[in-house]
Amino acid sequence: MAAQRLSQLSNQITGTPSNPRDAVLAKNPDDVVIVSALRTALTKGGKGGFKDTAGADLLAGVLKGVIDRSGIDPALVEDIAVGNVLAPGAGATEFRAAAIVAGFPVSTAVRALNRQCSSGLQAVVDIANAIKTGMIDVGIGAGCESMSLNYGPAAVSEFSELLDANVEAKNCKVPMGQLSEQMAKDRGVSRASQDAFAAESFQKAFKAQQDGLFDEEIVPLTVSFEDLKTGEVKKITVSKDDGIRPNMTAESLGKIRPAFAKDGSIHAGNASQVSDGAAAVLLMKRSKAEQLGLKIMGKYVAAAVAGVPPLLMGVGPWKAIPKVLEKTGVSKDEVDIYEINEAFASQCLWCANELGLDKSKINPKGGAIAFGHPLGCTGARQIATLLTELKRTNKKIGVTSMCIGTGMGLAAVFVNEA
Amino acid sequence: MFSFRTQGYNGYNLKYSPFHDSRLAVASSANFGLVGNGRLYVLGLTANGIVAEKTFDTQDGLFDLAWSEVHENQLAVASGDGSIKLFDVALNDFPIQSWHEHKREVFSIHWNLVDKTTFASSSWDGTVKIWSPEHPASLTTLPTNSCTYSTAFSPHSGTLLSAVSSDSHLRVFDTRLPAPHTVHQIAVHGAGAPPAEVLTHDWNKYRPGVIATAGVDKLIRTFDMRNPSTPVSVLAGHNYAVRRLAYSPHLPDTILSASYDMTCRVWNDGYAAASTGTADAAPGSCLGVMDRHSEFVVGVDWCMFGAEGWAGSVGWDEMLWVWDVRGVMGR
Repeated sequence: MAAQRLSQLSNQITGTPSNPRDAVLAKNPDDVVIVSALRTALTKGGKGGFKDTAGADLLAGVLKGVIDRSGIDPALVEDIAVGNVLAPGAGATEFRAAAIVAGFPVSTAVRALNRQCSSGLQAVVDIANAIKTGMIDVGIGAGCESMSLNYGPAAVSEFSELLDANVEAKNCKVPMGQLSEQMAKDRGVSRASQDAFAAESFQKAFKAQQDGLFDEEIVPLTVSFEDLKTGEVKKITVSKDDGIRPNMTAESLGKIRPAFAKDGSIHAGNASQVSDGAAAVLLMKRSKAEQLGLKIMGKYVAAAVAGVPPLLMGVGPWKAIPKVLEKTGVSKDEVDIYEINEAFASQCLWCANELGLDKSKINPKGGAIAFGHPLGCTGARQIATLLTELKRTNKKIGVTSMCIGTGMGLAAVFVNEA
Repeated sequence: MFSFRTQGYNGYNLKYSPFHDSRLAVASSANFGLVGNGRLYVLGLTANGIVAEKTFDTQDGLFDLAWSEVHENQLAVASGDGSIKLFDVALNDFPIQSWHEHKREVFSIHWNLVDKTTFASSSWDGTVKIWSPEHPASLTTLPTNSCTYSTAFSPHSGTLLSAVSSDSHLRVFDTRLPAPHTVHQIAVHGAGAPPAEVLTHDWNKYRPGVIATAGVDKLIRTFDMRNPSTPVSVLAGHNYAVRRLAYSPHLPDTILSASYDMTCRVWNDGYAAASTGTADAAPGSCLGVMDRHSEFVVGVDWCMFGAEGWAGSVGWDEMLWVWDVRGVMGR
């Protein structure tokens, strides 16, 4: 509060207009800043490099990467929040163990949380809020998911009679593919436009990978891998997303058969891939980072969560993005990059069109369609991708958002300071 | 010149009592209003100089104050924590009423001079609210959607009020109109110039519909609500942002201003010259400079009683000066 007042008053003297953008870009000692944002490679579920690696092992790997690359004394980290969707109990027990393996002392607390596909972002927001309120000084928001090992029919729990008796409540268990198919139909998102969007995601991701644009955000991990043909178990080092395919075009995607309905528009090529991966973001007060002499990557500004009808869960970002922008006062055009999860091309495209976002600002390095959506990891992964791209292009304000199963959206604003 | 030191507290504004010629009050904040307590001083002008008759301490800094126009002992203050408190000078320590609706710093408060039963407040939360001392909640909320530094009722109409904001706009509202009650929304910077935060404004006491504004661009402008698209006159001279201005209660052309340049200035607002002249904004003229403050001057008020020309000023130097404006003319 004092810092806000100070910047407001000093703007009156310097004559700098205290417009919302300047206010968001201002550097104050009590800002929550990001010192490190890293991820593992994302690999294909069931066949990719991490298919035999437990989610907690991926987490341990990325946490270790955060310690090594940031140079933080792990004893200073007071809490680690990890988003996860599929592991039993969201992985609370094994994640605590993973933190110890990564090199954190027992004094570093760990918890797991599950807000479906936004869990990784929710973990980062929770840590930022804990820092803001003074509960902790330094924390890590993370996310991890092994869809290879934990994805399956058991992922959706049975509903009681009570829940099933309420129509809207019952809608919460309608499978994502089915409801997105219906939404695409109702909202008139054509197959062609979805395929074009998906092809672009592949093309952008392929180019980014070729140019090495992911290398800075990825921690290579060495893991065990069983060759499905020979049965041989070997050690491999995974440092690249393996779901990215070259030469994808709207025409080639147009040939794939729809997955959820005969006359449908959604298929394996224009929906997010099933993948494994982990990501972690190290946060602290700016004053703390400066005191420790750590290099600041960016600043957390604000977050907003919004609810939408369960059957329209895909519109979540459309509801959450304006909400978070309103909190900051920044206009949609002042945002330089939007990192919006591509759960389905249909919903991502619809949200972008409906919000009137500049297409060139959305997922400049591709998205989940091209390299995967390890559910609990994605939110934290997007921050790593967003901040490295803002830094590379020397841009400032980034927004990350995603739709959330059962009908929600989460969005957050970050500023690049690297 | 008489002086009083608000020791440990940086002045934010002062107001003369509308009932007693020897009483004035100062709203102040510790640590320049950035963090810490506030203090309301009720001061008496006596043969032995200025003495503190009473002080009230508040949790957060105080940025403005307004005397009740109906009750001689009551005055309301605007606080940094978003609250407005009504104090009674005859009582000690605690406010007799507190309203907490604004979500950010309340930066100005102004009593209705015509209706006398209501007052208005403006806040960094982007709203102006109208209140009655008898009512536990605000009567009306007027949105400005921008940090609003100053609000004031018209001295000629009980339903007209105005506000200036960091979005460089002057807004005039009439509470008789349906929501959002807006009569005018005037871009103060005009065409061509970049927008600048408007920090202060006041209504002319003799010419209904004439308003003077000032702010970060260092300029004072006057507008006539009958033709508000361009300023009637522009007064240049301050070297930093103008933080407060007040039209004289005695002379229709005279403005007193306070600035971050540590001076107060007296102006002829140029209105008379403009009405007879061309369509271009008249220049106005600076009649005198008061330079006794050693820090930002942020509050000024004219004394309505006695010889015309007495005024007070407060600043971040912890000083209240009470002085005769005629004494600085020509300086």
